[in-house]
Amino acid sequence: MIVHLWQNIDYVASVVLFCIGLYCVITKNNLIKKFIGLNIMETSVFAFIVALGVVDGGDAPIMGAGARAPFTNPIPQALILTGIVVAVSTTALALSLVIRIYQHCGTIEADELREME
Amino acid sequence: MEVTDIRPILAPAISFACTGLVFLMGRSTFWRRFWSLGAATAKLVVVMSMLPGTLKGTVYVFKLLDFTPGIGLGFRADALGMFFAVVSSTLWLITTIYAIGYMKPEHAKVRFFGFFALCVSTTIGIAFAENLLTLFLFYETLTICTYPLVIHEETPEAMKAGRKYLTYTLIGGAFVLLGSIVTYQMAGTLTLSKPGILSLSSGVGPLTWLFIALVAGFGVKAAIMPLHGWLPSAMVAPTPVSALLHAVAVVKAGAFGLLRVIYNVYGVELLKNLPVINWLAYLAAFTILAGSFIAIYQDNFKRRLAYSTVSQLSYIILGAALLTPYGATAAIAHIANQAFAKITMFFVAGSIQRTTGKTQIHELAGIGYRMPFTMAAYTVAALSFIGVPLFAGFVTKWYLSLGALQSGQWWFVLVMVASSLLNAAYWLPIIYLAWFKAPPGTRLELHEASPTLLLPTLLCAVYVILLGLTTQVPGLPFSLAQAAVKFVFGM
Amino acid sequence: MTPSSLLVGIIVVPLAGAVLTPVIGGKAGKHAWTWATTVMVATSVIAAALVNQVARTGPFSAYLGGWERPYGIELRFDEFSASVAVICLLGLLAIVFSQKYAAKELPPARLGTYYTLLLLNLTGMLGFVVTGDLFNLFVFMEILSLSGYALVAISGERTAEMAAFKYLVMGAVSSLLVLFAIGLLYALTGSLNMADISDRLTGSAEVPAMLALALLTTGFMVKAALFPLHVWLPDAHAIAPSPVSAILSGLVVKTGLLGMIRVYQIYYGAKVLDLSSLNTVLVWLGAISIVMGAFFAIFQEDIKMMLAYSTISNIGYIVMGLGLASQYGIIGATVHIFNHALIKATLFLGAGALIYQTGYRNLSDLRGVGRSMPFTTAAISVGAISIVGMPPTAGFLCKWYIALGAVQAGHPVFGVALVFGALFIFVYYIRMVNSFYFQAPIHPEILEVKEAPLTMLAPVLILAALCLAMGLLGRIPLSFIEPAVTRLLGTLGG
Repeated sequence: MIVHLWQNIDYVASVVLFCIGLYCVITKNNLIKKFIGLNIMETSVFAFIVALGVVDGGDAPIMGAGARAPFTNPIPQALILTGIVVAVSTTALALSLVIRIYQHCGTIEADELREME
Repeated sequence: MEVTDIRPILAPAISFACTGLVFLMGRSTFWRRFWSLGAATAKLVVVMSMLPGTLKGTVYVFKLLDFTPGIGLGFRADALGMFFAVVSSTLWLITTIYAIGYMKPEHAKVRFFGFFALCVSTTIGIAFAENLLTLFLFYETLTICTYPLVIHEETPEAMKAGRKYLTYTLIGGAFVLLGSIVTYQMAGTLTLSKPGILSLSSGVGPLTWLFIALVAGFGVKAAIMPLHGWLPSAMVAPTPVSALLHAVAVVKAGAFGLLRVIYNVYGVELLKNLPVINWLAYLAAFTILAGSFIAIYQDNFKRRLAYSTVSQLSYIILGAALLTPYGATAAIAHIANQAFAKITMFFVAGSIQRTTGKTQIHELAGIGYRMPFTMAAYTVAALSFIGVPLFAGFVTKWYLSLGALQSGQWWFVLVMVASSLLNAAYWLPIIYLAWFKAPPGTRLELHEASPTLLLPTLLCAVYVILLGLTTQVPGLPFSLAQAAVKFVFGM
Repeated sequence: MTPSSLLVGIIVVPLAGAVLTPVIGGKAGKHAWTWATTVMVATSVIAAALVNQVARTGPFSAYLGGWERPYGIELRFDEFSASVAVICLLGLLAIVFSQKYAAKELPPARLGTYYTLLLLNLTGMLGFVVTGDLFNLFVFMEILSLSGYALVAISGERTAEMAAFKYLVMGAVSSLLVLFAIGLLYALTGSLNMADISDRLTGSAEVPAMLALALLTTGFMVKAALFPLHVWLPDAHAIAPSPVSAILSGLVVKTGLLGMIRVYQIYYGAKVLDLSSLNTVLVWLGAISIVMGAFFAIFQEDIKMMLAYSTISNIGYIVMGLGLASQYGIIGATVHIFNHALIKATLFLGAGALIYQTGYRNLSDLRGVGRSMPFTTAAISVGAISIVGMPPTAGFLCKWYIALGAVQAGHPVFGVALVFGALFIFVYYIRMVNSFYFQAPIHPEILEVKEAPLTMLAPVLILAALCLAMGLLGRIPLSFIEPAVTRLLGTLGG
């Protein structure tokens, strides 16, 4: 069991990170901290997917002189590039919302905001 | 013989169009009355024009469209449906005349007449429904469009009655829907054109539960005890609505639905194998007696009428539950007999309320001298309910008793006798009060109701006598009832 | 036009429209409305052509860049994708409705942004339903979610921004769950094409496949706001501008359900897992959703809040139908995705018209409005009757089918829950109808209010008419979707 986990340490790490992130999102009171948790989750998923494509001793999948097999799988990397774009725009939108909320309410603590309603 | 004919759909469509026209042009009194009366007359003509054919055994069908794949929105005017349609379209015309007179001082008349027409449209739809889904469609629509009529007064009391009405009838509707779904799953069809679509192969247990669900569903509107609670509360509605609710549309829709379930969904032969049908008969007998007992203690005229309705409706149920041809004749004929007599009574109650402002029975002393014609009509209706020969009610009781003997359950005859006595106990005191107990010291002048109120009342009273006298005349409702019975029992 | 170019067009046209809106819309978005309407009309034409095509020939595909499955990106149009029709219709009507509404309710500087976001949101949905590629699905889901968060916040009010933030956090978490699952499936099969995944998943390891299924289901059910994952929905839907509420409630939550249908297509086809335990959970959650949604709605005074909670009930219907896994149940659920969109849009747009004209949004304040705005309230009443499932309206057929599906699947108890749950829903709609018509106004000036302007009234009336028509002509969508459901269940049976 332990050996099995150790062999897949990259997957285990991303699952642990995912859970840490989820924990932050659920328990943190500060909206920005909540969002940092979300970013941790995002990173964990990205790491997981990129790790899928890794081939032991594989080279970067760039064709040309000196290229030699085996290559790492390029598709997960391409996917995650897109994923990062999405994550960045989510972060941008969330942060701008946080700024607006702060301007309106003078606080970004979830419990204080709830009291204001 | 089945003939495709547009008239079965034309009849509800006329009332439906009338609704639209009333809403569009109803602000003008003339047009409101014109369309209401015109549509009522037109529909009566359409329905009556099918009568000769129906009596000869022709069935008019019209399939409008496929509602879901396999189940169409279809219309079918068979003898049973025609019976209900003839009664309700005749009464619609009469009630419309009455309503025009009665509603003069009321508010929101456009809404009133619009929904009034819609109710009758859906009632005809129920009568002519070709399958259970079409029937359910109109049954639910009827619930919805009676709601604005029940809460017409918009007082807190009326709103409360409206809520109660909706709660009862919608829960009933849900049971009908569930029943239809299970029926469709068991039988693979929902048509009402056969004498029974279910078969014993579905198992006695499921069939019994299905029957209970369907009876509970339709029984709410048919006010079988203990599902009758909405009916007395709904008395806050204006009198023409009460008349419509209690004599024509709503309660009869429930009773008619039950007849359809017993004769066309289950079929007489199948039900003979299900013990649950006996319990329905016992429940009906209980309702007949209990409703009458409660009625005796009501002092409000309309409430007494309401409980009398509860009691009378169960005659229909009892007749059907006996599963004998005579019982069936009684059940079907009572749809008309009760409707005309009860509507007469409501018209009387409404006329008295409009003319003298009195709503309680103890206030009616000497009313016979002030409103002799109205009270004469009342007397006719009361005698019919008591079951005096030559009046409509007697016909029902006679055939019902024959039916009970035919099925070997003679004790139901005792129920009939007891019911007659109870009816006498709560109708005769009013006659006594009205005619023989002039309060001393007051001068009683003749102060009859206005003609638009009086005329429909007298007309209905005449019908009550006609229905009692003319059972052997072909072409009148009774012969239609017999035609329906022949089909159901395969005679 | 070939089917392939149509398929590409249905994504490219609104996307290009969205990108060009700030340019063509001009200063302060003066022409943005005209432009957005034009784009949506063009998109609707394409959608109609696509639906016509699938009705004639059955499902078809387009491969981007000429790369065949599994290497290239596939756009696939099957019967479930026919929801493009309702997306385009509602999108068009909501944009038409927005002309006066947005001009009044939004800061003028945001008008251009508003139409851009609306078009982007619609692009996301259109792409979501036509793509055959799992990662594309995720990208389109993000496009529609992000634009959705921004649309909720667009009025710039405090409550709107807070609702948007709540929506954003829940939405982003659910997206990540889906992305995680996509990664897992890729690890298992080495493919991103949904049909291909389904083929290759057969016989693969059960545990990761199950984990992926759980993540996908949870993720999509958050998007669909199934109880108990619904907490973000009421605020977001009630506070957003009414045309946005109509789109969010009518369409955006449905993408979660359409996504769930895609998941079923993958897993039923692969036969790697027995889905009956998942289905049992979904059916129960659906039943609870119906009741809880209705229960919370009863306590709402705000008309839009009430409508938002009733969405949760209706999602419960659909999830229950899907979970029943019987022919009738799935047909009913799928058609209800379509019908509920029409009904809810009628209600939200109608409510928007009332708020626009009267300035009130509480039921008690709106008393008597039926006299001054007869057409709008009549349309809302039709919507209310329809959502409760009274015949002969659109809602009834779905209720009938899903309940029939429950009996067919051998669980008549859920049929009972459904039918009586619908009664529960009636309780609060009757309150609404009562306050429109049968109660004396609290604010006498409400009787002086004028009927809504044509650009608002027309969409509401069209939708109300469709609610009725879809009830009477219900066989058209029902028989349209039937082959797809038969195929789906056929793969299940073997």
